[in-house]
Formats: sequence, structure tokens, C-alpha cells
Amino acid sequence: MNPTLSFFYFLSFLTILSAIMVVVSRSPIHSVLYLILTFFCLSGHYILLNAQFLAAVNIIVYAGAIMVLFLFVIMFLNMKEEEEKFRGNVTKIAAAIVGGTIFIILFGAYRKTQVGTYNPYEFKSQTGMVESLGMVLFRDYLLPFELASVLFLIAMVGAVMLGKREIGERHF
Amino acid sequence: MYPIVLLSVLGIVVLYLGFLKSKSILLPATLLFLVVAMIGNFFEWNDGELLYFKGMFAVNKLTLTFNAIVLFSAFMIVAMTQGFQDNEEAQPAEYFALMLFSLVGAFMMIGFENLIMLFLGVEILSVAMYVLTGSDKRNLRSNEAALKYFLMGAFATGIMLFGIALLYGASGSFSLNGIESFVTLNQRSPSYLLYAGLLLVLIGMLFKVSAAPFHFWTPDVYDGAPSIFTAFMATIVKTAGFAALFRLLSHSFSGIYDFWWPTLSILTVLTLLVGNIIAVYQDSFKRMLAYSSISHAGYLLIALTSMTKQTENAILFYSMAYSFATICAFGVLIPVAREKSLEGRPNESYEAFNGLAKNNPLLAFVLTVSMLSLAGIPLTAGFWGKFFVFSSAVERELVWMIIVAVLMSAVGIYYYFRVIMAAYMKEGDTATIRIAPFYKIVLIAATLLTILFGLAPGLFEAAM
Repeated sequence: MNPTLSFFYFLSFLTILSAIMVVVSRSPIHSVLYLILTFFCLSGHYILLNAQFLAAVNIIVYAGAIMVLFLFVIMFLNMKEEEEKFRGNVTKIAAAIVGGTIFIILFGAYRKTQVGTYNPYEFKSQTGMVESLGMVLFRDYLLPFELASVLFLIAMVGAVMLGKREIGERHF
Repeated sequence: MYPIVLLSVLGIVVLYLGFLKSKSILLPATLLFLVVAMIGNFFEWNDGELLYFKGMFAVNKLTLTFNAIVLFSAFMIVAMTQGFQDNEEAQPAEYFALMLFSLVGAFMMIGFENLIMLFLGVEILSVAMYVLTGSDKRNLRSNEAALKYFLMGAFATGIMLFGIALLYGASGSFSLNGIESFVTLNQRSPSYLLYAGLLLVLIGMLFKVSAAPFHFWTPDVYDGAPSIFTAFMATIVKTAGFAALFRLLSHSFSGIYDFWWPTLSILTVLTLLVGNIIAVYQDSFKRMLAYSSISHAGYLLIALTSMTKQTENAILFYSMAYSFATICAFGVLIPVAREKSLEGRPNESYEAFNGLAKNNPLLAFVLTVSMLSLAGIPLTAGFWGKFFVFSSAVERELVWMIIVAVLMSAVGIYYYFRVIMAAYMKEGDTATIRIAPFYKIVLIAATLLTILFGLAPGLFEAAM
């Protein structure tokens, strides 16, 4: 077993373990911390896939900005470790059935799929670099790239509209 | 392509117009912009099949017709808003801008040639809808609806994105043509990764058009959102969603029809049963319309499941007939519910319509025609919509599905006629409701179109 492969297995194990811990942890803060670990592991996968830029962006945006926001909100809400009482057993069983079915479908699909073979002579070291990414983004995917701005504009307008204080509302 | 560019820019113009002191210019400006987009839409009418930006976006007569239906529905709904002049808390500039932007998403879903475009279009349309659902900030039900819609919608989008990733993993391409050629090459040896991806994408899309069993958000969201935005949701999101589903299934996956039709047919029957049977038990007219929109998703799914040559025409005609009738229904509901308000909130129950015909014969007539069209009674557009849908299913010999659909249409007649009975038979004290002249024109136009296409459905095909 070559070192890359063993590193891949180690990373995958860590990713799945921390992802499970996100769901299992009782305290929301622990969940978020495990989620950060998951994101770091995923960034490791991106580096193994020769996508260095994506790995960096993943850490900056997800593990950095969004996770800080998450932690901030959780501390703001001052959540206590509470027992979940409102969920009945029926919901749990239904969720387990649905999740298990999807797992079986995906597992079966992956098992029957032939994975593309790897040819070391065709390896391009520049694939995941910013330059080639920019080439694809601004040449082939120019239209979706520009139209994404409409999406962000909608999100901004919506946030301002919903967040604006109305006349007669409480001042904090 | 023109309407996308035009509306992206004109939406920003509407936002800037919001800075003006007088808000009364917003409504005519937005209507003008929609007309401009409609004119731009028909610039490419005679150009045949066009591809833009390295095969990202396709334009042909089918997409242009879908665009026209969406634009026309949006025009009528915007005209019915009356500029939100009677509401101090309303922010019309933002509402109109969000509506125009969301149409950009609808056009992307109608003409996408690449799955990235589909995903972005779905997101643009949905995010605008989440915001508009929650736009009635003081209303707790509106807040709840927005949060529910947002959380569930984000989850469904995630599932769809996972599906798109699997499709890419299987075929190595995001473009419809690339996937299609992969499907035709590998018809003998099925690629299970592709199948799993297709199923997940279908789940995501069926959530957006509220087909059972992904319909749980629909009644609460339709009920909680302000009625005018519910009308927008019920017509435009559904039309764009089915245009996208049709494009995806007919273009890329027609080669593996045998794989997806059993799944889709089960969902179709389930949607028909759930939508129609639960609608019977509703006391609120608005909630009944929500379930009726689920059931109409079921009828449209019949056309999609049969996937014959007639499907294209059937989906076009059905979504048009359904949109006009739904706009009429909401157009009557809004003034009536406002007139009969209970504890400061619009009263949307069936009782609000009691005795409507005595003092408001026009509103009662519009309501009757729209209900007849939704129920599929002859001489309305809805009848021909159902007729085309069923005949495409006959061509595929899906007789059992038609039997279920006809039975469910009979159930539908019961709950659609309940409100007509309330308007004409029951005693009530509805005062004469004053409605603006422009509002009246929109209602009459939509009603006349419903009757016109009911008398001469050939007009529609002749126009194409």
C-alpha cells in the first residue's frame, strides 16, 4: 500500500468519524467543532485530488467564516444541553428507514460502478490551480458565473428587506 | 436570452426607483418592464434553435412559449398587487425587484442546457420565493411559512446538487447533450451511478413542484404566505419546474425511459390521491387551493410519465390553463378575504364567500369560471388541458393511471363546487366590494382567455 492510499484511508476514516460525531454529540458547540474537523478533512481530500485552490477556499469560507457565524449564533442563543423530548419513536424509525434506503441505493450504485483508471503519464499538475480554474470559469462557465450575481443580489435584497426595523418596533 | 438580460438589469432599475419619494411610479414601471421583456422574448421567435455561451442556454419555440406563459402570468399577478398602496408596511420596490429577478431564475430553468444553469435557476427562483413568503413580517404564520420553506427547500436543493454531482461522476459532463450521448452509448450496460443521480435530481425537482411525497411544505407555505405571492408561487414556480423536468427527461434521459417511468408513475398516482383527497377536508379556501395545486402537479406528472410526442403540447397547454385559472381564483380571494377580515387578518375560509353572487356578480362569475376550469369542465381551458394530458397517456397505454386520474377529477369537482355553492346558494352579507378598474380588467381578461381556449384550443397550437 503506497503512502497516498494509506493517507486517503486515514482521512476518510477521520471524515466519517467526525461527521458521525456531528450528529451524535449532545452539545451544539461540540457538533460545530466536529463539523470544522469534517471540513478540514474534506480539504485534505481536495488536496489529494489535486485541487489546491478549492482546498484553500473550503477552509477560508466554510471552516473560517461560516463556522464562526455558527458558533456565534449558538453562543448568542445560549443553548443548554437539552434532552430531545419532542421527537417520537415513529419519526426516528421513519428517518432510519429513509436514511438506510438511501444508503443501500448509493452503496449498491458505487459498488457496481467501474472507477476510471489512473494514468500517471497524463497527469497535469496545474489542473486545480487558480489559473486553469479561472480559464474554465471565465470562458466556459461565464453565463452561470455572471448570473450567480443575480442570486446574491436577491439574497442581499431579501436580507435587508426582512431585517429592516419597522416603525414602532423595539429598539435593542 | 433577451428576457434574462433585460430583467436582470431592469430589476436593479426597480430597486433604484424605490428611492423616489412617490411609490406610485413603481407599479406602472414594473408592468412596463414586463412588457419590454415580453417583446424581447419574441425577438428570437424566428431564429430556430439557438445556443448561447458555449452551450449553456438554449432558445427555441418551446422555451419561448414557456417564457411567454410565465411572463404573462407575472404581468397579471403584478397588476393585481395594486402597488401595495393600501399597506403602510409594504416595501413595493423590493417586492417587484424580487419578482423580476425570480423570473430570471424561471427562464434559466426553462431554457437550461447545462445542469449548472438548472441549479442556479432553481436557486434564484427559490430564494426569491423564500423571501417573498416571509414578507408579511408581523404575521407569525408568514414567518413560520418562510422558515419552513427555506429549511426544507435548502435540503431539497442539497439533494438535487448531490444528484447533479453523481450525474457528472457517471457521464463526465454537466451538459444535457453530454449526458444524452453517454446514455445512448451505455444503453446496454446500465450505469447505476447515473440512475442514482437521476433519482436524486428528480427528488429535488419534484420537491419544487410539490409532488407527493415531497409535498409536506406546500399547504403551510401557501397558506402562510401573502395571497398575492402564493399566486406567484402556484403559477410561475410550477410552470418553470415542469418545463425544467420536461427538458431534463425528454432531452437527456429519454434513452432510459424504462428505468424512470415506473418510479414516476407511482409518484404520479400518489400525488393525485394525496392532493385531491386531502383537499376535500379543508375548511379554508386558500388551503384547498394549495392541495389543488398538488393535485394539478399530479395531472402534469401524467403527461411527463407518458412522455410521448403530445407531452410537450399537453404540458404547455395544461400549465397555461392552470395558471390563468389559479390567478383568477386568487384574484377573487384577495378582495373577498380582505373585505371579510377576522381579527385584522384576511378571512380565507369558505364562509367568506357566502352570498357573494348577490352584490358582486362579476367576482362570482370569475370565481365560477376559474373553478370550472380547475375542475376540468368542458368549455373551459382546463377541460382541454386534462384532455391533452389524458390523450398522451392513452397513447402510452397507461389506462390504469387514467382511471385513477378520472376518479380523482370527480373528487375534485366536489371541493371546487363547494365555493361556487357558497357564492350562489348560501345566504351571506357580502357588501359590494369595490375593486380598481385595472384589477377588473385583469380578472376579465384571464376569464375570457380561459373561456376562449376552452372553446377553441386550436388557437393555442396555431399561435405556436
